[in-house]
Amino acid sequence: MKPDDIRRHAALFTEYTELRAQENRSSRISVLNGDVVGNASGSQAGFSARSYKDGVWGFASSPESGDEAVAAMVAKAGANVRFLASVEGRGLGALPRRPGKSDRDLGTGKPRLGRKELIDFARAVDAYCVRRFPGLLSRSVSLSTLDMEKALVTSDGSEAYSLIPRALVAVSLTVEEAGEPIDLYDIFGGRGQFEDVFDTPEALYPRLDLLVERLKEKAKGAYARPGTHEVILDPDLAGILAHEAIGHTVEADLVLGGSVAADYMGREVASPLVTLVDFAHTAQGETCPVPLWTDDEGTEGRDAVLIEKGVLRSYMHNKETAAHFGAEPTGNARAFGFYDEPLVRMRNTAILPGGSKLADMIASVDDGYYFLRSSNGQADSTSEFMFGVVMGYEIKGGRLGRAVRDCTISGVAFDMLKTIDMLSDDMSWTAAGMCGKKQSIPVGMGGPAVKCRINVGGRS
Amino acid sequence: MSGMKDGIDIARAALAALKAAGADKAAAGFSRGEQSELNVDAGKMSLYRSTVNVSVSVTAYVGGRKGSVSVNRYDDAAVRGAAEEAVAMARSSEPDPANDISPERPLERFAFGPAEPDNALMYERLREFVDYASARYPDTRLEQCILNFAAGESSYANSNGAEFQERSGSYGFQAMFTTKKGEKASSFNYSGASHRDLALPLKDWGNVDLLMRQSTEQLEPGGVGGSFQGDLVIAPDCLGDFISYLDGTYLGDYALITGSSPWKDKLGQKVVSPLFSLRSLPAGPGVEIGYSYTGDGFRAENCDLIDAGVLKNFSLGFYGSNKTGKPRCPSGGGALAVDAGATPLDDMIRDVKRGLLLMRFSGGSPSDNGDFSGVAKNSYLIEDGKIARAVGETMIAGNVAELFSGIRAVSRELVDYGSAVCPWALTGPVTVSGK
Repeated sequence: MKPDDIRRHAALFTEYTELRAQENRSSRISVLNGDVVGNASGSQAGFSARSYKDGVWGFASSPESGDEAVAAMVAKAGANVRFLASVEGRGLGALPRRPGKSDRDLGTGKPRLGRKELIDFARAVDAYCVRRFPGLLSRSVSLSTLDMEKALVTSDGSEAYSLIPRALVAVSLTVEEAGEPIDLYDIFGGRGQFEDVFDTPEALYPRLDLLVERLKEKAKGAYARPGTHEVILDPDLAGILAHEAIGHTVEADLVLGGSVAADYMGREVASPLVTLVDFAHTAQGETCPVPLWTDDEGTEGRDAVLIEKGVLRSYMHNKETAAHFGAEPTGNARAFGFYDEPLVRMRNTAILPGGSKLADMIASVDDGYYFLRSSNGQADSTSEFMFGVVMGYEIKGGRLGRAVRDCTISGVAFDMLKTIDMLSDDMSWTAAGMCGKKQSIPVGMGGPAVKCRINVGGRS
Repeated sequence: MSGMKDGIDIARAALAALKAAGADKAAAGFSRGEQSELNVDAGKMSLYRSTVNVSVSVTAYVGGRKGSVSVNRYDDAAVRGAAEEAVAMARSSEPDPANDISPERPLERFAFGPAEPDNALMYERLREFVDYASARYPDTRLEQCILNFAAGESSYANSNGAEFQERSGSYGFQAMFTTKKGEKASSFNYSGASHRDLALPLKDWGNVDLLMRQSTEQLEPGGVGGSFQGDLVIAPDCLGDFISYLDGTYLGDYALITGSSPWKDKLGQKVVSPLFSLRSLPAGPGVEIGYSYTGDGFRAENCDLIDAGVLKNFSLGFYGSNKTGKPRCPSGGGALAVDAGATPLDDMIRDVKRGLLLMRFSGGSPSDNGDFSGVAKNSYLIEDGKIARAVGETMIAGNVAELFSGIRAVSRELVDYGSAVCPWALTGPVTVSGK
């Protein structure tokens, strides 16, 4: 479905209105200890309309695509906003506009693989893990894909189409050590349909080898010591740092909701080494993991430079928060399903690289940790963040030591960022993230290795 | 969506399509739902949202192989297409003798709650709450509040002749808030509940009012002065998180199928404190918002998961049960209720020499061995039986099984979340660390 297919419904708009047709197609294959325990696909398709009047919104959605159903849905959104405006209207003026016009199809041009080929791929990965590490207590291989296809027209002149796919393979392995299960996982893949992201199972073998070696080390590992330590965060953790610790606090709707970042605009909030950007679609000449050329309010996507050389420069905005703050909308309004309203969401949030080498960064730590892989993370209005860490090493005298078991790291972002004294000169992206904020939605996160001081929670 | 076909007929038509496409065995579900929702953002009523959706889900079994497809269209062509795709997917898969469907059970119909929202009362209740919050807690900001009404009908049918239909309507409310005064801000906190009606003011849903009051006390949290082994008095909102860890790490399908559950051989044995009893009550009346049948096609029956510290049931589904040879959970594992204890909350706090009143836990997913760690949010230091101060940048670490084994008091006070009921619990020791 393209904007041409839905433009005729714009004649029904009576207020500022966005009309979106969307289909999310998903697929999942799960192999647990060699058995195919999950083999499912799904589609969620439908229309939504959202209208704005006097500072409030009305929204309606329906899976029906006939003209009559779409007309009823547009009318319902209008009725909802008029009701709410009648009792809660704030007499605000028109929303700012920077209409996006984009047509982006990131679907593959290659022949699509059949179901059996996909199942065989997952089973081949599983079989390799068994061969490589016969002592595994359990293993899980999960192949998942998500295609998000959207067409949008808005009453202020935007027309946009996008098909943004993502394909992931997650592998989780468990060994038994002294009667206790010890596990570790990795996720491969990212933007694109499966055929464009993955070649053969064999191409993953080197990364599976690394996963197995690290799991062996972790099984023999020690608990991290609780307390504040000097640490190196691998790019995987720098990405979640960019997203959780900083990104959420500078989403403009959360700033209005009480984030401490409300008081920090124009102030130094981080080491001068730190520049943090939420990229719309392209970073360093490459298409981002979750590119957005036009957001779901119809705003042309632009990069939001959030922190520049340590100084807070911008929030991430939708049209409404941009109007409130007297800023330009940044194109951060995103919705997950056709039934969801756009919210201020991150896109591809990254700390930019610095000038140090990772080896030098590790060598500079006398007594600390090198943390490599995160599990989940959470943010807070105070900028206090938390990430689970599932893989790391002690650093003693500038050298990597024993692996450490699972722990959690935390800190107050706007304090911790000031402790950053080295950033590596390379960066990488994590393209597997899902961010939960009323709706769960794919996000990209990236960064270099980061040296800082951080709180470590562990069993003493 | 009046005038639509009966959902059970759509599920039966999907079954017929699956069989026609070549399935040996088949299961199908159909659901349709409508939702009406009011949102508050940054303290202001911001959005009135109405959604409609449907779902057809079909699962084909061919020679022990399985494939599932779900779509949100229910016209004949869409249902037939989904059925054919599911059969093709099953044929591409691998056989597993554990793949099966529930036995015959004549159609049962269930109905709970109102079919339509009281939109006027929804608005009145939310406006009342916003006014209450701004008057009672003027420095507290409602980051986001969502009051919704969801009504739906779901139907299930399989080729053995098991059939269910349920119509359900309920209101849900969630409030997320933070207190900000000058440049000082508290950590956000949240609570909420689901109920069949709007009889109670929203401030009294879940633990909303208590947590809002506490939020005003948390603008200048202190430290805990280093690392120590301490007790926890765990709030009901937070205890629910640890129960979900318990389920995922010790009781659920994944942990038992992989064999990673440390309790895999402990059915019928004491696994935690005798003061802790966890029951699954989908058929009520102990839990208001239950359900009538499980996702794998069985009538949902109340059962004990843990009774006085003894493991009575895993939360295994039908597949997990077939795979492991362990009994299927008769309830489906939801609608959880923890028994109240005999100890007043104040007495539990008085019993703590040094520890935390843990109001929210922001933690990493527990390891397969049950180890957890994370940040104690919106929490308080307890010293010599008294709440000393709100704390920040404080972490805790321990093991989930040890946490439940260490319970030495459960409160007589309960918080009713509508879909779950939970008390406060006193346990320890865990590692507490902070500035």
